[in-house]
Amino acid sequence: MTLQSRGAADSPAEPDIDENGVDRAQIRAMLELTPEERLRRVEQFVESVLEIRRLNEERPVR
Amino acid sequence: MKSARFAEILRLLATNDVEFIVVGMTAGVLHGAPVTTIDLDIVHRRSSENVARLLRVLGELDAFYRHDPRKLRPRDSHLGGPGHQLLTTIHGDLDCLGAIDDGKSYEDLLDRTTTITLAGGSVVRVLDLPTLIEIKERSGRPKDLAVLPVLRATLDEIERRS
Repeated sequence: MTLQSRGAADSPAEPDIDENGVDRAQIRAMLELTPEERLRRVEQFVESVLEIRRLNEERPVR
Repeated sequence: MKSARFAEILRLLATNDVEFIVVGMTAGVLHGAPVTTIDLDIVHRRSSENVARLLRVLGELDAFYRHDPRKLRPRDSHLGGPGHQLLTTIHGDLDCLGAIDDGKSYEDLLDRTTTITLAGGSVVRVLDLPTLIEIKERSGRPKDLAVLPVLRATLDEIERRS
């Protein structure tokens, strides 16, 4: 079987990106969470950035 | 900023009976917008009683002006006005805004809010999503306009569910 003939069965589903480039699936995933869980995601993101900054304090990212 | 524990800041404010509204992108996140932010914006009621309660919590959070090398602490005269107090705390950056959107105070915004309940039962008031979108549209600043597609799409998804 050639790569081309595999067809739709092996293809990932089309992403749900709207006309403005917004990923609607990400929004629906957020709406499944409680407000506090949504806030935790932001906290985790900021904590990760802070950790990367701390690790690079001696050797700043250029 | 050394940490980001915004939920803990909200819990402390609520349990100390501070009257405030979460605004800005944190309000967008609480409504379900898949965006991020590195500070927490609130509009507080500027009555002397509420400012005193807010100052007590800010003391507990070891808050000081994050762009001032002297690490000045906020005072009641600062929080009693319509200005924006940009602070950093042990749990992350916190902006205490006396007014937003060309002078709108806590009382002006109160009818345009919803409430959320945090773990432990603390109830927090959040600017509603249509109003957040309107304010960002009116602001016209590039940084506000940039997030509008995500906020509008989030509102659309919420409305489809209801």
